[in-house]
Amino acid sequence: MTVRVHDTFARWTSHAMYAMCVVAAGAIIAFLVLVSGFIAYKGATSISLDLFTKPPIANGMPGYPGGMHSAIVGTLTLIGMAGLIGVPIGILTGVYLAEYEAGSWLAAPVRFICDVLSGVPSIVVGVLGYELLVVPLGRYNAYAGASALAFIMVPLVARTTEEMLRLVPGSYREASIALGATKARTILGVVLPSVTGSIVTGVMLALARIAGETAPLLFTALGAREIHGLREPFPSLTVQIYTYATGPYAEEKRLAWAGILVLVGLVFLFNLLIRFVTRRSKPAT
Amino acid sequence: MTVINYRSTEIEKPPIDGPGFVLVSSSSRRRFGGDAILHNLARLCAGIVLAMVVVLLGVLTLSAIPSVREFGLSFLATSEWRPNELEVPVLGPDGKVVIEDGETKNETLPPKFGALPVIYGTAVSSAIALVLAVPLSFGASLFLIRIAPKFLVAPVSFLIELLAAIPSIAYGMWGLFVLAPWLQQKEQRWFDLLGHVPGLGWMFYQSLTVGGQTVQRQLPATGRDMLCGGAILGIMILPIITAISRDVLRTVPRAQLEGAVALGATWWQSSKEMLKFARSALFGAVMLGLARAAGETMAVAMVIGNNNQIVPSPLAPAQTMSSLLANEFAEASGKLHNSALVEVALVLLVMSLMFNVVARYLIVGKGGSKVAAAH
Repeated sequence: MTVRVHDTFARWTSHAMYAMCVVAAGAIIAFLVLVSGFIAYKGATSISLDLFTKPPIANGMPGYPGGMHSAIVGTLTLIGMAGLIGVPIGILTGVYLAEYEAGSWLAAPVRFICDVLSGVPSIVVGVLGYELLVVPLGRYNAYAGASALAFIMVPLVARTTEEMLRLVPGSYREASIALGATKARTILGVVLPSVTGSIVTGVMLALARIAGETAPLLFTALGAREIHGLREPFPSLTVQIYTYATGPYAEEKRLAWAGILVLVGLVFLFNLLIRFVTRRSKPAT
Repeated sequence: MTVINYRSTEIEKPPIDGPGFVLVSSSSRRRFGGDAILHNLARLCAGIVLAMVVVLLGVLTLSAIPSVREFGLSFLATSEWRPNELEVPVLGPDGKVVIEDGETKNETLPPKFGALPVIYGTAVSSAIALVLAVPLSFGASLFLIRIAPKFLVAPVSFLIELLAAIPSIAYGMWGLFVLAPWLQQKEQRWFDLLGHVPGLGWMFYQSLTVGGQTVQRQLPATGRDMLCGGAILGIMILPIITAISRDVLRTVPRAQLEGAVALGATWWQSSKEMLKFARSALFGAVMLGLARAAGETMAVAMVIGNNNQIVPSPLAPAQTMSSLLANEFAEASGKLHNSALVEVALVLLVMSLMFNVVARYLIVGKGGSKVAAAH
């Protein structure tokens, strides 16, 4: 917009603020490049195949420092267990919020709760997991860790499922009833299949999010060098990285950088992939 | 969306037999009750979500009761956090140490917990984060809405949101190994330049009262301090404030903008009008960022310096509520320590929930979920 402004101060202020806004956007992207670039650089110099194949080995033992194999397997197990609990509950809650809202007193509060629960600090979820699942069992265990992760996952999956279901046009449902289907069959046979891709995307994003969580695992699954069983302290990539990064050994810190590169690389890849896929698979309106 | 009445699935009239019409449901399928199964299953899951919040608040409150009973409201106002017992000599009526049988009589003080330092730490680190993040975020959202050419908006938004995808420990490691050493150099230079300026002593020195004497102790400049924690938090909350304010500014009616320009406003003056129009929702965006900053754990725990004391200087190591939990919870000694930590978690939770609720109300209004739903 070309505007003739006779107030010189206002004109120059406007030019300056315009430039500042561009600088601000550039600064944010600069931070992104700074953080991820450094992680890439530090991680690339310390990554090796050992990271994926060898378990962590204590200082002094042969083969020190080893890798993060058990931690990676641990994280995959934990998000698998969390997904087993969290995905069905989340999707069904989303279905309830989108399809069964009429005449229900439960829908509005639950939607509000989903929004609010996603703002709960993850460390508080860890405290809950400790009080509820570690204290009765007597020791840190994988179930508590997976449950804490599922606690974080359910509101995310519920909200994205609900939003995807709301995008399905009403004509699909009306056509289904016109053909005589029951409500359950409509939902399961018509509505849900039309947005399966988007729901899977939402689930994957939630899984990627909890794969990067550390705080809820700190005192539910704690951490370990090897997998001893689901009822024992359970290793995870994030806690392993944290332990190594805050420890005193330089070798372990190098491993921590490699682990961070793997984690951040996977998360970035995931996000890119998902955005690329969803750009083409929105439900046809 | 039209409300579809499912109760009338009974088909009274026989279907018209003709091309293209298919009778799908038979009476036996209707009587199976699959409808009720799905409905109740979905209702059960929604109930589980409701129960999740109740259980969260309930369990934390129950576990915090021993600490609440012990310290009451002074928990939020006192600064002493001592998980171990302390032996102090008993002072007689004249203020002098009592000596019995040639030995000073000692009394053992039980563990005492006060959350004021961590509340202070959370407040100040979040404030630093907001001071850093809000101008950058508002500027970036104005850029996205008003300055950026059409083809740049999507990629730049995507890049900014990618910042939100980076896990917290990644920020922590970057902060610990990159930002903290860099800040340490800078702080050393500041001390060399300004350390002897009379009014700025509070920034570089900490007053300690030891044995009745007040000493000025120079702060150990490790780079891991409140400033570093606030800076990392600021970077972490940039994407959420930018995304929400971008969405909010997009809903400002074009008439506002055009009206301001018609009255002769410069670019910045009309942008100010936009910001002013959306100020309550933008305030909500800032509150959401604040809530996120207050609850952030791992990055802060690695760079804040783990010092559970109130020191006025931002160059001093500190502790936030979440970093206290991350550092001390796993090794809590005794039931009272555990209970005090759970009480800190409860305070953190209630604070976060309040911020979130108020922020969403400001952004979305009394209606349903719109803009802020995805964040």
